[in-house]
Amino acid sequence: MNIMKIFSITTAAVLLCGVSFAQAQKSESSIQLSFSKKTDNSKIVNALVMGKKSGEKFSPAKNAHISFYAKKEKELVLITKSITDGQGKTNALLPKDLPLDTGRYFGITVKLENDSVYENSEEELRLKDVNLAIQLNPHDTARIMTATVTEITADGNVKGVKDVPINFYVQRLFGIMPAAEEHTVNTNEKGEAVFSFPKGIPGDTAGNMTVVARIDDNDMYGTVESQSPCAWGKVVPLEKDPFPREIWGAQAPWGLIITLSILYGGVWFCYFFMFFQLRKIKTEEDLTVNS
Amino acid sequence: MSKTIYPDSNIPAELSVEVIREDSLRPTRKWGRSTQIWLGCLLMVAGWGLYAYIHQLRHGLGETAMRNYVSWGLYISTFVFFIGISHSGTLVSAILRITKQDWRMPITRIAELMTFVSLLFGGIMPIIDLGRPDRIANLVIFGRVQSPLMWDVMSILTYFTGSTIFLWLPMIPDMALSRDRLTVCDSRFKKFRKWLYTKLAIGWTGSKTQWKRLELVMTIMTIVIIPVAVSVHTVVSYIFAMTLRPGWNSTVFGPYFVAGALYSGSAIVILAMVVFRKLYHLEKYITYRHFDLMGRVVLALTLIYAYLNLNEYWIPAYKMATAEGHLLHDLFSGSYSTAFWLCQFGTVLFPIIVMCFPKGRTPGMLAFICSLIAVGAWVKRYLIVVPTLLHPFLPIQDVPQDWAQYFPNWVEWSVTMGALSGILIVITLYAKLFPMMSIWEVVHGAKVEENKRIATEKGEHEEEELLKAESVHAKTSKGKTTIVMANGNK
Amino acid sequence: MQEDNKKDNKKDNKNNRRDFLRKSLITGGVLAAGAIGLEKVFSKEGEKTSTDDTTVFTRDGKVFRADMECLHEYKAPPVTNEEARKGIAGKKFVMVFDLAKCDGCKKCTEACQAMHFTEPDREWIKVYKMKDAETTAPYYMPKPCFHCDNPPCTKVCPVGATFKRQDGIVLIDDERCIGCRSCLAACPYSTRFFNWSDPIQPVAVANIPYSPEHGFPRQRGTSEKCDFCPHMIREGKMPACVTGCPMQTIYFGDQNEDAVTNSAGVTVKLSQLLEDNSAYRYMEELGTEPRVYYLPPKNRKYPKPDMESIGKEKKDDGKKPNSDMGNMVM
Repeated sequence: MNIMKIFSITTAAVLLCGVSFAQAQKSESSIQLSFSKKTDNSKIVNALVMGKKSGEKFSPAKNAHISFYAKKEKELVLITKSITDGQGKTNALLPKDLPLDTGRYFGITVKLENDSVYENSEEELRLKDVNLAIQLNPHDTARIMTATVTEITADGNVKGVKDVPINFYVQRLFGIMPAAEEHTVNTNEKGEAVFSFPKGIPGDTAGNMTVVARIDDNDMYGTVESQSPCAWGKVVPLEKDPFPREIWGAQAPWGLIITLSILYGGVWFCYFFMFFQLRKIKTEEDLTVNS
Repeated sequence: MSKTIYPDSNIPAELSVEVIREDSLRPTRKWGRSTQIWLGCLLMVAGWGLYAYIHQLRHGLGETAMRNYVSWGLYISTFVFFIGISHSGTLVSAILRITKQDWRMPITRIAELMTFVSLLFGGIMPIIDLGRPDRIANLVIFGRVQSPLMWDVMSILTYFTGSTIFLWLPMIPDMALSRDRLTVCDSRFKKFRKWLYTKLAIGWTGSKTQWKRLELVMTIMTIVIIPVAVSVHTVVSYIFAMTLRPGWNSTVFGPYFVAGALYSGSAIVILAMVVFRKLYHLEKYITYRHFDLMGRVVLALTLIYAYLNLNEYWIPAYKMATAEGHLLHDLFSGSYSTAFWLCQFGTVLFPIIVMCFPKGRTPGMLAFICSLIAVGAWVKRYLIVVPTLLHPFLPIQDVPQDWAQYFPNWVEWSVTMGALSGILIVITLYAKLFPMMSIWEVVHGAKVEENKRIATEKGEHEEEELLKAESVHAKTSKGKTTIVMANGNK
Repeated sequence: MQEDNKKDNKKDNKNNRRDFLRKSLITGGVLAAGAIGLEKVFSKEGEKTSTDDTTVFTRDGKVFRADMECLHEYKAPPVTNEEARKGIAGKKFVMVFDLAKCDGCKKCTEACQAMHFTEPDREWIKVYKMKDAETTAPYYMPKPCFHCDNPPCTKVCPVGATFKRQDGIVLIDDERCIGCRSCLAACPYSTRFFNWSDPIQPVAVANIPYSPEHGFPRQRGTSEKCDFCPHMIREGKMPACVTGCPMQTIYFGDQNEDAVTNSAGVTVKLSQLLEDNSAYRYMEELGTEPRVYYLPPKNRKYPKPDMESIGKEKKDDGKKPNSDMGNMVM
């Protein structure tokens, strides 16, 4: 009984100590959202969560638990839950049919709530869903591409959207590169933007490359992208001999091999000639004894 | 005894063949207490070196003082030094043979032995320096001939083979003699000796055809070994000169290394001459004249070496290019300046001055001077390898302290000293098994002297003397065969 | 009001208890791990790897944590040695450093060290504080391997353990390296490192199959250096230093595509970037033809490096001050 008492007191004391050194205070947090729509019409919301302890700078919030909601009239419908990665980033694939409000906008709300480290915070996104279609002839020598931005009106008609800035890019290994210095064209009445790709952009060994039209981070539409392969690039042939016979290469230049062979071969020939002669000395032994 | 020696003679003419033979063979017959103690001490040092190497093998090269900046240290410096010494044999033996310098005869064996031994251990040094000695077979499996290191491997193997043959060829008649005289002496390990001498004598009987063949083979070898020797030290310099590093990126490096090698190698030969002359009582054979002549050779080589030093340092010092300038400042007035100037003045300039005087070419003085040269050459190798590595193009910034400095630690010293005592062990064993003079050549030399003297006594006019001496010389080189043929017939 | 406080306190208490429990657990775990680690050190000599996957002790007893999040990158089977030696056909990788943007934060080095599980002193990409002359401006210069097109290092390798691939990358095959250190001597940029002793690496890393494309698990007696992260490139990702740079200093890309990308995902035309900024390569006169370009530190937006601080800032790290000159021991 006594032992139990002592034990419980000790536990309490230890716990009190624990209280004094671990004054948990939640970090401030903030969320940044961006929307992107790809060629295959998949819609993705990217979230970047930043956290800030008092007196420190904002830094990416790792392992923050956040939830994505779609706004349906005044309610919030949960789409998915997610945890941020090491860079404080996460994303969510949106369903195809998002509830739209009267202005044909869709709304996404992202919440950070009930997290043990971060204070609650939320962020909202309200955008219009537009389609970006591209037309091109892959072998067109003029390299002209037409990008069309359309939206579906309330009555179900497809209508071009005008004055949307569209940027034209080419796909490169690690990102998309502006196709020219002036690579932005605004859509006309019909929602069309026409762009002529410059000559001489390197493609692959057959001149193939991927061209991209994109509405970049628009306040009203987010990022909407559409891409297509074409043969407009400059042909970059494969190296004829990627592993040449060089001093630095895996195989030696013939000149070096021949020179070394002659030099060392000559010396070793002399050695072997000598061994041959010495063998003869040995075999001559008997002869001389007799003579 | 010394009174009877002609002051300017190469080999005492009045010595009989028998005396020469016995004088040469005698030291190989007894293993005195001092030899045993000496070998014991050497074995202890070598054992300690082996222990240090095993320690290094178990724990990696991290046990040495080498780090990322100074990635080559004492081992590679010693490698270059040992390879340098190996040039002695070629120089004294081959070059003097080819130029028909008859006075070389009593010292060729010593020189050739130095070559053989220093190459043996010089070749081992880079293997000790390897991070993965277990993968040495990769040199054969994946070998790239573009690598200077590969040239080193090929050259050293070729030179080692060559110098082993070159050491052995003149030994063949002597081995026959040793074999035949074994029965009359009380030598240790008789059976082993018998077997060894018989094997090495390859059935030498001293027949005319055998002499002819030996002459032919010797001539070929003498010619072949010289370019091989030059190539070895040239490619050793190439492992440095083929890089872009300030201090190594130098076109004079090939000849510079060859000159340095000859300079240190010939000095080592003189040291060995002094030692064996004393220990083996060869004063009759290795005379003041030999020292005087070898002193002149070393003097000439030191002058060449000094000249190349001038080129190697004065040219960049005049220009003071940025990176090279940093290195040169460090060598001339920085942390390496003491060693650098001691090397230049103490072991190059000072020996030149001393050796200019005949009194500076006496055995005692030369022993001192050549010790200086040997140590100086070693330190100079270190000064070529290490300071350059400490002066890369990009500054050494924010690295652990031990990366930015270098001084060999106990492992490296132990292994290096072990290798050095290994050299001495092999020399001792050799000297206790084989005659340290090429007996038949010395006998021949004595005969030449004898004939010369006779010619001088007979001759009345100077011109006639010369003519006669020459004709006699020619005769004797034919007659030699008959003299030495006696070897085989007991 | 008071009641509210009490309630809060209770809640805090609860939280704290949980916190405390967690902490004690961690402490216990660390101790246990330490004990096991010690046992291992004593029982099996030479094996210096720690049992704890994330915490590794350096030779001088300091702790560094390996970021195991990087480990998932290596789950995929590495390419064969033959493929790793050939490289990716049709590519020529280049790196560009915009020195005007570099503020010397060394985040690139950190990212690289995390990706390759290097010991803290192995800076495959090293940020130098440069000052070319007394009168010229100081600047920061990050320096990876230059992956030269005329590489002095592959020339001198006697066994072909270091080689140049068709995509321009110079790699090391640690399973072939004999440890002669010719390459360390030959590299004029002090880019290479040598594993002098048994490598210090987490067990999880030591168990990954070796590939020249990521250079680990390390082996004693072999050399290592920056490899342009070819295992990342194969996944379409950029090297760790590029993505790890918060200043968008580093651009990486394929010269054949004439495009380079930085950590913000901005892709620009390589030839134009080089032309507009009059790019240069470090020590062009050496003729090594580096695949790394520098844009001069013009109109620098960040404070210049303090040259006085060289070697001093890491003093508490056990590293004593040193600089290029004046402290060499002979």
